Amino acid sequence: MTTHTAPRKTSPRRHTTQAPLIVRFVKSPKFARFLFPWAVLVFWLIGNKLIQDSWDFDSSVLATPREVWDFMWAEITNDTVAPDNVYRTFGISLRRLGVGFAIAMFLGTLIGLGMGLSKAINAFFHDWVMALLAMPALAWALFLSLIFGFDNRGPTIAVILAGIPFVIVNIREGVRSTPRELFDMSGAFNVPRAKTVRHVLLPSLFPFMFAAARYAFSIGWKGLVIAELFGGQDGAGWTMKFWYDAHRLHGVIGYSMFFVILALFIENVVLEPISRRVFKWRPALTGPDVVEEEFQHELDVASGAGTL
Amino acid sequence: MGVSATIEVETSTPQRTTSEERAIRARRKDFAVRWIWRLLGYVVVLGLWEWASGTVLEENLLPGPSRVFETTFDLIDQGSIVESFRATLTRIGIAITISFFLGAILGILTQNAWLRGFFKDAITIGLTAPGLIWVLITAIVFGNRWYGPLIAIVLTTFALVSVNVAEGIGSLPKDTLDMARAFGVSLFNRNRHIVIPHLAPFLFTGLRFCFSIGWKVTVLTEIFSSSSGIGFEMRIAQTLFRQDELITWILLFFLFALFLEKVVLQFFENRFFRWRKDIATA
Repeated sequence: MTTHTAPRKTSPRRHTTQAPLIVRFVKSPKFARFLFPWAVLVFWLIGNKLIQDSWDFDSSVLATPREVWDFMWAEITNDTVAPDNVYRTFGISLRRLGVGFAIAMFLGTLIGLGMGLSKAINAFFHDWVMALLAMPALAWALFLSLIFGFDNRGPTIAVILAGIPFVIVNIREGVRSTPRELFDMSGAFNVPRAKTVRHVLLPSLFPFMFAAARYAFSIGWKGLVIAELFGGQDGAGWTMKFWYDAHRLHGVIGYSMFFVILALFIENVVLEPISRRVFKWRPALTGPDVVEEEFQHELDVASGAGTL
Repeated sequence: MGVSATIEVETSTPQRTTSEERAIRARRKDFAVRWIWRLLGYVVVLGLWEWASGTVLEENLLPGPSRVFETTFDLIDQGSIVESFRATLTRIGIAITISFFLGAILGILTQNAWLRGFFKDAITIGLTAPGLIWVLITAIVFGNRWYGPLIAIVLTTFALVSVNVAEGIGSLPKDTLDMARAFGVSLFNRNRHIVIPHLAPFLFTGLRFCFSIGWKVTVLTEIFSSSSGIGFEMRIAQTLFRQDELITWILLFFLFALFLEKVVLQFFENRFFRWRKDIATA
């Protein structure tokens, strides 16, 4: 005991001058961030133990981190019980997402341009776009599953319906924020219309289109999984349901992780460099982040719809 | 001099009224155009929907608005509406209360740099992971027990509150606080008159986000792991292939949730924060 008190007396003085490397390392936020996954792991194991001890659970219901890891590894190395391996499954889903996304971008851009340019068109569509924005993907999934059964159309249309309101809102905002003075000036200097569109409208619209694509992508992706879950016979959502129906928790967690990893990969590795490249010419703005902040309030609530 | 001045006044007053009138007339015309097109939008969309049911798709697959209207009364007659709404709303209420306090505590904790580092990924995951994941996991682990759905809702929504609370604390008016401290204002009064009024709008925004996401997760979680509520009724309707009932359930709850979110919560927010012009307009 006495040996312990001695360093404790000196420790505050040492802190004020220079804490030892270990202490500084442990106290740094980076270490805390590194610690978090391990804390989750410990919490997971303790939670499993507690649930098994306090209630009469069948232990096979709960998954251990080890099982999840083994499952994911088996899937990656193409050793799976499900009808399709993980690559094919996500391939199918991404193809549906691609088709739906392209249609949503095209139609959404048309309607958004119309709404931004004309007050009448805006009034015509406004309430319906707002309703679509708040409609949960779940509603589309159930509705379309009854109409189309288990084929490609249901999930694809679900992607369109989930993504299109975000495209419309972004494009409309983009048209509204184009600099009017530049239009007036190009009119005064007799610049041809095609040139005005190319050099004035498109560059100012581009960041908004990019933001639209981002929103449509991430929300369409979530909508797609739910639609496949209720009305699909293959794809990521369906396979998640496959493991759910088989009551294999490690399968559900493993597939959720693939799902999140893929979304993060596309966001950070595919979209982020493109946006940096596209917005290199605008030194002041850092791409869609700025654009999103401009009407964050509206979209934050709306993108809540995409959490499903 | 005097004569010319009176003449000027006489000529300028009628001119001003005409320009005002012109502005009013233009505004009225604008208003009329907007409302005509808005109504036209309703007529066209509802008309298309009504026309499509029975011609594009069978009426059983795509029931029109009139059929949905009739089904609403059928469901009211059956008496299951009140019970289901009560079950779902209770669930949302409890879950959002928990998630609000949990999120607020987390938001306060993240003021510390170390804890911010620790919870950074937790909040990112909370914001980005789809509710479906939590719903499926809690459905398998907890089955039909009543707390499974609550856990799923809390996990999907808590991060929204903590982000808002953290943002509110980060933007506390430091100079006002310093001044209050310099003039010896007590801790209670400082919190009462500076901190809480400043944080209130952020808390309110967090609550509104929480609700707008919460009701969707609630319906989803009821589909998988509950035997009461809107989601449960929707699942029954889907398994029995009753498209009209399915649409009626979701539309009824959709309209109710929109009413709560856009009218009730927005009303209170505007009323409470009328003194802060920058927020009240939102």
